[in-house]
Order: sequence, then C-alpha cells, then structure tokens
Amino acid sequence: MSPTHEPFDELAACYALGALDGDDLTRFEAHLARGCTECEHALAQCREALVQPAVDLREVPPPRVKRALMERLARSRARRPRPARLGPGLKWVASVAVAAGLIASVVATYVSARYEQRLGEMAREASALREQISQQRQALALLRDPATRIITLAGLEPSPKAQGRMIWNERDGGILVAGGLPPAPQGKAYELWAVVGGKPIPAGLFGVDAEGRGSARVEPLAGGPEVAQFAVTLEPAGGVPAPTGPMYLASK
Amino acid sequence: MSNDGTELLRRMAGGDRDAFAAFYDAYAPLAFGLIRRILRNAAEAEEVFQEVFWEIWQSAADYDPKRGSPEAWVVVRAKSRGIDRARAIRRRSEMTAGALTQVVTAAREPGRDPGVGAEERGAVRGALGQLPQNQREIIELAYFDGLTQTEIAGRLNQPLGTVKTRMRLGMDKLRSLMGPRR
Repeated sequence: MSPTHEPFDELAACYALGALDGDDLTRFEAHLARGCTECEHALAQCREALVQPAVDLREVPPPRVKRALMERLARSRARRPRPARLGPGLKWVASVAVAAGLIASVVATYVSARYEQRLGEMAREASALREQISQQRQALALLRDPATRIITLAGLEPSPKAQGRMIWNERDGGILVAGGLPPAPQGKAYELWAVVGGKPIPAGLFGVDAEGRGSARVEPLAGGPEVAQFAVTLEPAGGVPAPTGPMYLASK
Repeated sequence: MSNDGTELLRRMAGGDRDAFAAFYDAYAPLAFGLIRRILRNAAEAEEVFQEVFWEIWQSAADYDPKRGSPEAWVVVRAKSRGIDRARAIRRRSEMTAGALTQVVTAAREPGRDPGVGAEERGAVRGALGQLPQNQREIIELAYFDGLTQTEIAGRLNQPLGTVKTRMRLGMDKLRSLMGPRR
C-alpha cells in the first residue's frame, strides 16, 4: 500500500456507511473515478461487514407483506416489469433506462450502485406513468360512450368556490374531478354520494392535493340504477354508510 | 446460503416468481429488521420494505456476484431506502427531527434506559456490541440514522477528524469480525 493512499482508507470506510460529505465526498469520488482497485476492494469489504449488524436485527415481516408482493407480481403482466416493456408513449423512459443500464455496466462499482438506485427510481416513476395512462385511457373510453353524461357539481357553503365534474355512465361508472376544495383535516376524507330514488348511496372516498384538486375513479352501482344527483361531504377517513358531515359539492 | 441467493437472483432475472418467493423467505428478515431499526414506525417500515423487495424483483438482473454477496446487495438497498425515507420524514416535520434527537440522545447512554427495544439490545449484543462504545455510537448514527460525518461531529460535539478516525476503526473491527462467518 502506498503511503499516499492512507487517507482514502479512512474515506472508504465512511463512504461505505454513506457518511461522507463535503470536500471529502468530492475528493473520494474523484479518486474512485480514476479507478482504484484498492478502494473498490475496501468498499466491497465494508459492505460485507455491514451485513452482520443487519443479521443481528433479523425480523420476520408480517405474512401480509409477502401476500401483497406476490399479488403485485402476479398482476404485473410483463414477466419482468421493466421500463423496456412499456407502451409506445413511454419509449423514451425505456431508452433512458437502457442507456443508464449500459453506463452502469461499464463504470466502476460505486457508480453502478448509484445507477441501480436511479433505475429503481425510474421504474417507480414509470409505474406511476403507466397508472396515469391507464386512467386516461379509461376516461377516453368513457367519453366516447354516447350513454356517458357530464354532470357539474357546484361548491356549497363551506367552500363556495369549489367545483366538480362527474363523467358518469350508469353501466361503467365514472370519474370525478374536483377542484378548489380545502385539504381534508387529519382523520377526514371527502366522500362521494350517488342519490338514487331519493337515497344517498356511498360512491367512494377521495382526498385533495395541496392545491385542492382531487379525482376518483367511481365504480358503477350494483344493478346500474339511474343516478339523479351527486354530492360530496366531509366524513371520517374510513367513510360512513350514510352522510353525516357538511356538504361541500352537489349537482343540481 | 450465498450461492443459493445468487442462483435465485439469476432465476428471478428470468422472471421466475417461485425463485422470488424463495428469495423472499431467505432474505426478507434481513431487510425488514434493518428497516425497522432505521424507521421505528411500523407502517412506514412495512411500506419501505415492500418497495425494497419490489425493486429487488425488478432489478435482479443487475446483481453481479463478482461485486459482493446477495446479503450485502440486499442490505445496501434496505439501508439506502430506509435512510431516504427517514430523511424525508425529518424534512417533513421539525417535530420529528426533535423526536429523533431525543431517541439518539437516549441511545447514546447505554444501560440507562431499560425500556430500549429488544431489537436494539440485540444489536448491542451482536457485532456492533463488540465495538468500543465511542466507535459504536458513531457507526450507529451513520448506519441507522443516516447522519453524515459532519452531522455526527455536530451532534456529538466532537472534532470531525475524531469522528472519521473512530468510524474507520469501527469499520475495521466489523471487517475483522467477518472472518468466521464466511
């Protein structure tokens, strides 16, 4: 070991713990980028050494987590849900991921660890985009159906400026889009009601973002009865079978 | 077990769900215990843990046995996701940061608090328990609380150089303890 290498041994230990910052981090990453097998070896050793403290903490997760994961696996139609299998609209995400993958395979260990992390982030982002696209496809299909109605919901006393649109089809259900609602307080959620034959039927719960916007996919009602009116009230977060709270939105 | 893990990851890369189920059974407790130690909030820990295993499924093809054991691969992911979430929580709320400081301060005085969780006592008995206390506390702050060397120096009111040296000595000791395991 060369004497000039000494400071990097210390930096490698801190780096493996994710604790390097400031100039030390810059200096060490520059050193690694120049290619240092000694440091790469030290880093790999440190990562192995950090396994034992985790072994000491071993804890079996609740069985429901495995069930949820296995269901998620079964649901993902692609054998391996990689960005590369996405639809045409998302090809750019896939090409970025592929490019990142290629880079990861040719650079040093520490760099590839970072790209792996980014790939994970991209995979999550891609899955969110896929979800968005599927929602938009459903919305389009719904709009093309001549039986679909668009119902306006107006803001009531607690938030007169709030607005809502319900794209509704008795057979397929619909989509609610709302805006201008105050964020639901802790432990509360907005509940949508479909009024059928003078009786409110719970039609789903939704929250709003910081700008007061919210949307919800609304399942069709059992038997597909004609809905006379929609309304939104603020209720306990779990939802209630009949409205109890103040009404924020209602259609005519 | 390492060889099994490598083989399971290879099969997972080809889309083998049974391999994933077996890999999960073998490695889930390793990741879950660590994330629980980092996050302490059971619901947050469960969510992050599930994300980690979902990522493991998605990126099994990235695993390269030449670069380390499956255990280390899982631990690096669990630690980094856990710390990411812990930092996000800290950013989200000043109050949480205050509570974390309390937790850290309490953990710094060993034996003082008989109510310390079983998992924590386990860690002290285990590999980390073999380190001198002044090395162990620094490694724990980095490993489980995600603090950087500068943050640790500030938290413990120690010179940065001392923190780095102790961290290195602690890591050397942990590396030397690996001998019998492999």
